[in-house]
Amino acid sequence: MAAVFRKIASFFRIIAQVNREKATEMLEFELKELENIFSLLVIGGFVGMPSPPVPIAIELLPYMERELTVMLSRSDLASDPLGSLVGLLEMD
Amino acid sequence: MISNAFFLGKGGVGKTTMSAAFALAMARSGKRVLIASLDPAHNLGDVLDTRLKDTPKEVEKNLYALEVDLNYWVEKYLEESRSELATTYSYNLTLNLDSFFDIMKYSPGTEEYAVLWAIEHIRCDLSGDYDIVVYDTPPTALSLRFLAMPAISNLWIAELTKLRARILEKRSTITRLNPTSPIANSCVDKADDKVYGKLGSIKRRLTDLSSLFERESYMAVVLNPDVLSVSEAIRIKDELDKIHIPLSAICLNKRGVSTAAWEIHKRLADSPLFEVDFKTGGLQTRDDLATIETSALVADFLATETVNKGIA
Repeated sequence: MAAVFRKIASFFRIIAQVNREKATEMLEFELKELENIFSLLVIGGFVGMPSPPVPIAIELLPYMERELTVMLSRSDLASDPLGSLVGLLEMD
Repeated sequence: MISNAFFLGKGGVGKTTMSAAFALAMARSGKRVLIASLDPAHNLGDVLDTRLKDTPKEVEKNLYALEVDLNYWVEKYLEESRSELATTYSYNLTLNLDSFFDIMKYSPGTEEYAVLWAIEHIRCDLSGDYDIVVYDTPPTALSLRFLAMPAISNLWIAELTKLRARILEKRSTITRLNPTSPIANSCVDKADDKVYGKLGSIKRRLTDLSSLFERESYMAVVLNPDVLSVSEAIRIKDELDKIHIPLSAICLNKRGVSTAAWEIHKRLADSPLFEVDFKTGGLQTRDDLATIETSALVADFLATETVNKGIA
């Protein structure tokens, strides 16, 4: 009997986790976009975009490891940004 | 409190001579004075008749002088950034930092920042030993760029700080809703976020420099009785107005060098005018600097200093 309860509890835990993942999926997408924009603003000067004076970018660069990784992964989606958004929203 | 004096103007109008004569008069009146040349093409040592370096040298009683080595400040800053980057990205052996930083020396903005770091060093580490710091500045283009740099950079810093706050807020929300999300491992708190902290420290440094230029400095523009230097002085006045730095004085150097009729332009008429006669024999020794009539300029500086002390 206890084993059955454990399985039911586990089932509800999984359901709750799936719902949490669903709830934050869109927020995580927005966060990555914000982090990508932040990186582009800071180091955009290197590719000709308006940006703060280069010495400011150099001071921030050592602490932007995550943002740079996000920016590189976003650039992989650059060929199909709409596709990734539509996939996220589960639209057919 | 006004404890800094900047001498600005077109190349060749006599900024170094005026600033050196002003500093000498101040020193001989009993104030401890440091005069610093920010011009990459230094000739302060020639005017003071002594060899100068990047550290203060006693020229005579109460008068100390130095010539800022901008290359040293660029190298020092890049070296600090290089070691920080190498520590953070040590796993990435393909990152060729040396060639990257060699190019950085020539990036737009680096020279202006080097001037700012030098001024910051003088303000924080040296100025406590002196009553007054006098700056002989580079020609107009570089001077206006480094004077405007704190205000311009702070606009960027304000926007980046706002964006960073939004990022941290979003991370915090995600972590609250889903503690098992990979985002939960990243920094969510402003106090712990190194990027947010760095933005704050850059902002504080730039705000201090802005305050030094706007509220703690006596800005004098040196000009000659000719159309070109007057036009440039008007441009300096316009640019200073844009970044809210008050123009304290106009120094007309080499009065009498030409017989052509001359009068101060109305755009410059708001600031007190101090006139210095043209020295036909030139300046041969340091004592010749003392023959330049700067007493009215010194009195105006001291009056401004006193008024500001009263306000403070």
